[in-house]
Amino acid sequence: MKPWAAAADRLRELKGLMALAGIVLLAIAISPVAPDGSRIFLQAGNLTDILRQISLIGIVSLGMTLVILTGGIDLSVGSTLALSTSLVAMGLTRAWPGSGYAPHILYAIAAATLAGGLAGAVNGAAIAGIEIQPFIVTLASMIGIRGLAKWLTNNANIDIGFGRDVAAEFAAVFRQKPLVIGSYAVLAAVFWVLLSRTVFGRHVRAIGDNETAARYAGLPIRRVKIVVYALAGLLAGFAGVLYAAENHQGNPNVGVAYELDAIAAVVIGGTRLAGGKGSIAGTIVGTLIMGVLTNMLRLGNVDSNVEMMVKAVIIVLAVAIQRQRSVD
Amino acid sequence: MPDLLRAEGIGKRYGGVCALRNASLALAAGEAHALVGENGAGKSTLAKVIAGSVRPDAGRILIDGEPASIRNPLDAQRLGIGIIYQELDLFPHLSIGENIVVGNLSFPETALVDFRKVDDFCRPFLERVGLRRRPRELLSRLSIGQAQLVALARALSMRARVILMDEPTSSLGEDAAGRLFRTIRELTQSGVAIVYVSHKMDEIFRVCGRATVLRDGGNVGTLEVPKSTPDALVRMMVGQVGNLRADWQSARAAVANRRADCQSAPLLSVSGLTTRKLHNVSFDLRSGEVLGIAGLVGAGRSELGAALFGLARVRAGEIRLRGVPIEPKSPAAAMRHGIGLLPEDRKLQGLMMDMSVLENGALAACRGMRRFGFLSAERERRALDPLYRQLGLKCASFSAPAGSLSGGNQQKALLARWLLADPGVLFLDDPARGIDVGAKQDIYRIIGALAAAGKGVILASSELPELLRCSSRILVLADGRVTAAYDAAEATPERIMAAATGAAEARP
Ligand SMILES: Nc1ncnc2c1ncn2[C@@H]1O[C@H](COP(=O)(O)OP(=O)(O)OP(=O)(O)O)[C@@H](O)[C@H]1O
Ligand SMILES: [Mg+2]
Repeated sequence: MKPWAAAADRLRELKGLMALAGIVLLAIAISPVAPDGSRIFLQAGNLTDILRQISLIGIVSLGMTLVILTGGIDLSVGSTLALSTSLVAMGLTRAWPGSGYAPHILYAIAAATLAGGLAGAVNGAAIAGIEIQPFIVTLASMIGIRGLAKWLTNNANIDIGFGRDVAAEFAAVFRQKPLVIGSYAVLAAVFWVLLSRTVFGRHVRAIGDNETAARYAGLPIRRVKIVVYALAGLLAGFAGVLYAAENHQGNPNVGVAYELDAIAAVVIGGTRLAGGKGSIAGTIVGTLIMGVLTNMLRLGNVDSNVEMMVKAVIIVLAVAIQRQRSVD
Repeated sequence: MPDLLRAEGIGKRYGGVCALRNASLALAAGEAHALVGENGAGKSTLAKVIAGSVRPDAGRILIDGEPASIRNPLDAQRLGIGIIYQELDLFPHLSIGENIVVGNLSFPETALVDFRKVDDFCRPFLERVGLRRRPRELLSRLSIGQAQLVALARALSMRARVILMDEPTSSLGEDAAGRLFRTIRELTQSGVAIVYVSHKMDEIFRVCGRATVLRDGGNVGTLEVPKSTPDALVRMMVGQVGNLRADWQSARAAVANRRADCQSAPLLSVSGLTTRKLHNVSFDLRSGEVLGIAGLVGAGRSELGAALFGLARVRAGEIRLRGVPIEPKSPAAAMRHGIGLLPEDRKLQGLMMDMSVLENGALAACRGMRRFGFLSAERERRALDPLYRQLGLKCASFSAPAGSLSGGNQQKALLARWLLADPGVLFLDDPARGIDVGAKQDIYRIIGALAAAGKGVILASSELPELLRCSSRILVLADGRVTAAYDAAEATPERIMAAATGAAEARP
């Protein structure tokens, strides 16, 4: 087959792209008009706002894609995000023995992100090692990690503030649009390559497609699963860092239902919930669909309760148009 | 008299692939009708169209001369059509009995499951197919051959007028197959029509009255089996072929002669191996040798592969590789020792059905084909292309999902995976399962070439001719014990069968 034919094939598979195009067109059509006659939706500021708003959930859903591809689920990422947000704020508001902001900031970010990765690795070890169902393991850790975050912070907000101290400096840097969007773009590219061009990525899909056959083919199932959950945790941890910067605080109560948004982005992107089938590209499209939709409804001043109802319909529609016909 | 069932002008396309074009089949009451053709010829698709599980794009089906509308499997069941699928469609987590009665119109279903009634309903059919298991046992506990018997019992219990059997003996041993043939004869005598899909010529000549040959989705012709010969039938399937019997005999002679020159130290040496299903199994495998494993369904052939490949817990005994004791705890560990296993059930244990033909073939060896640490489709293609060609694998493209291949072509993709991984010791569990006559010869040649290249090959098979054709030595298992071992020169079907069924003559 010619390369362009293969590319066209892949594009056709990405029916989510059509859904995205449809929603973008709709958003343009119903967008309010600025005094100068241009459509607000299309203004550069608005478009980059959308990207910034989806970046956090986008980063979390990259890891969720891998988890779901193995046939698992991770309900704990919202709590992990809260833990990391709290940890980074705690780290930044603690006294630092050295001089200079940069090492202090790096240390705080690394500690928070790695804590997320560790939480994920523990999930993975329980799932792959003790062979408990992912739903149950991550449901438990969703509760446990949230508890840990609250306990560490005494259930209080840790304000980062706007002064000239290290914490404020961190927030000023890490809430910039280019940095947030850039992080998402880089991570998305890395995970795209990881999933589609590496042995690890192939193993992820093979395990979700047929775990028994994966065992018979000698694939390192345990290792792959532990790494997948650890990556999901790392990404949630890093998203938590960005969350702290954006909101100028570490708060153990944030990130509730984040896991559900991430799962929604993944399945809207055409990844099969039972595993084996799906792609990072699809998840990016799914995330964009959610982002544009939210933006469109907000620009239209739609009541936030109505917004939820509309989202519900869109999720079902987006999955429906990508459905494989089950008979023949 | 109108035919009991007629399928006329059936057409079916899958994307760019034409599975059936203007195919037809006429069945008379009380006949066993063979449906034959190469892998991918469209046999299974035609059977599924008649059974209502695939909707054709063109054509019609007549029953007793009346056009019938078959839109789903339930319609077909109501019209008296039963089917045993090539890739079994049973529920592994349900019991044997539940698998037989679920969706079965001839079982009077009640709101509450009455297990006693299920047992009573199933027992005669299980007896008839010769499966000595309790109806309440879980299906997942059975081997694929035994599962095939459950599918057969299910089809029988539907009291159908037409039963389509898509390679029903692909995992059955001689005894179970013999019982099936008796059942088929009884059924045809009572007026039931059987469609019999198989690649095994001897079976077709034993049970079938007529044969319809498909090639590339269309009819080549229908002939009277008793007035024909296997060579003539095969010629219709593939266009050209030599003398099968003579080929087989010369190949066997060659294997028997080669036996003399492998007197080296054993490559793999198993002594006193005991697992849940094996008892005190011992043998040596030398490099350059093909060791055949014979035995009835459930005798422990697959269990032996599982034990060597780290899939079954070894309770006692020792496995030595080149003299060094090893304890493979997992397939990955076994592979590090250079042991490979081609599993018997390609659907459950073998293929990733949504992944491409290329990815499936490369799965066990893709680490070695990377470029700068990344997967290289180009390298994989270059490595797999000759293998697929050699095996005669037919597919729309290398990026087509494995699930879209015909059964025999799936088997070839799985075989290619292990040929590419190229382990020093390869355990082949029914490697030619579902593979057509022509490609089978190629696979036997490949097995011979592996041995000639100094590998050790263990060939477990339910087909005696295959074992006799390829093996330099044959080990016979019965109930998890080795009951006999024969050199190629002294092995005969009678001796092997006697040892496999535990007849006194064979006991040493
Ligand atoms: N679901 C599907 N999607 C795409 N192609 C399919 C599908 N099912 C069958 N085909 C194609 O249709 C053709 C006929 O397949 P079929 O399974 O009927 O062959 P067969 O004669 O039963 O072969 P075998 O002896 O290997 O079982 C093959 O080329 C196969 O690739
Ligand atoms: Mg078939």
